[in-house]
Amino acid sequence: MSVDNDMNRTEDALKRVLRRQPAPDSFADRVLARVAERNSAESGRGHRDSWWCVFVQPLVRWATATALAVALVAGGLHYRQVQYDKAERERAQGEAAKQRLMLALRIASSKLQLAKSKVNEINADQAGNREEKE
Amino acid sequence: MKMKMLWLVLLLASPGLVQAQDIKLPADVEKLSAKAKETVEVTMDGPMLRWASKFLSAEDPEEAKCAKLVANLKGIYVRSFEFDKEGAYSAADVDALRSQLHSPVWSRVVGVRSERDGNNVDVFFKMEDDKMAGIVIIAAEAKELTFVNIVGPLEVDQLADLGGEFGIPKLSPKSLSKAQKGDRR
Repeated sequence: MSVDNDMNRTEDALKRVLRRQPAPDSFADRVLARVAERNSAESGRGHRDSWWCVFVQPLVRWATATALAVALVAGGLHYRQVQYDKAERERAQGEAAKQRLMLALRIASSKLQLAKSKVNEINADQAGNREEKE
Repeated sequence: MKMKMLWLVLLLASPGLVQAQDIKLPADVEKLSAKAKETVEVTMDGPMLRWASKFLSAEDPEEAKCAKLVANLKGIYVRSFEFDKEGAYSAADVDALRSQLHSPVWSRVVGVRSERDGNNVDVFFKMEDDKMAGIVIIAAEAKELTFVNIVGPLEVDQLADLGGEFGIPKLSPKSLSKAQKGDRR
């Protein structure tokens, strides 16, 4: 009897523990979100792997390296040309400004010469008149 | 009234602007370029002068002297009109220029009126604290009218160097005082 009772108690205990319980409300959503997250991570890695795989081929690697080198050299040359053009333009403008300055000084000088020659003429005339009187 | 006060304040607050080129070309003179066969117009203020003088070679003696002369200047302004025939400009045009130089800071050191060839030349010095602070040359010739305004501290010997540099006899203070005596009107 006591054995039967023990069995029943054990069975009841197991039934209690193993009874079916409903899942929490958000459980399904959390599972679906986790699955979606894992899928996207795997697909991204797959995409990156496939894009990078292109460079596994030596020809593509060399072609890419050459293209980069050519682009760098061309960029450098273009920058140098732009700098050279800028310096040339500034030099030409500076030379033009210098010529204008020299022209202004030449005109000033020539007019001073004119004043000087007129003064000399007057002085010579006055000296001549004085000599005539004497 | 407020506007007048504002202009006065601005004028007093910017002596550099007023000093830079205190001689203005009358509008009638500016219009002469339309009649002129050839017009030379040089307007160089301080920064432009500094920049242009950077391109003057120190190895060329002529350019080296010019660089030294220009170093302390505040501006060079030149207007030169060359005409096909005589009488293209009026005496009033020239008088309008001369009338701006009647202030005490300006003294006329050369004033020549030639009846022989009609060439009239005036040279004015601007003196500040017994030092040359500028020069104006007005040369009114039969077929040419030239106005030169050099602004800035200019030593007389530097000016003489300028005169002597381009194959022109040097102007000494003595010869300039003689010129005043020989002024013919």
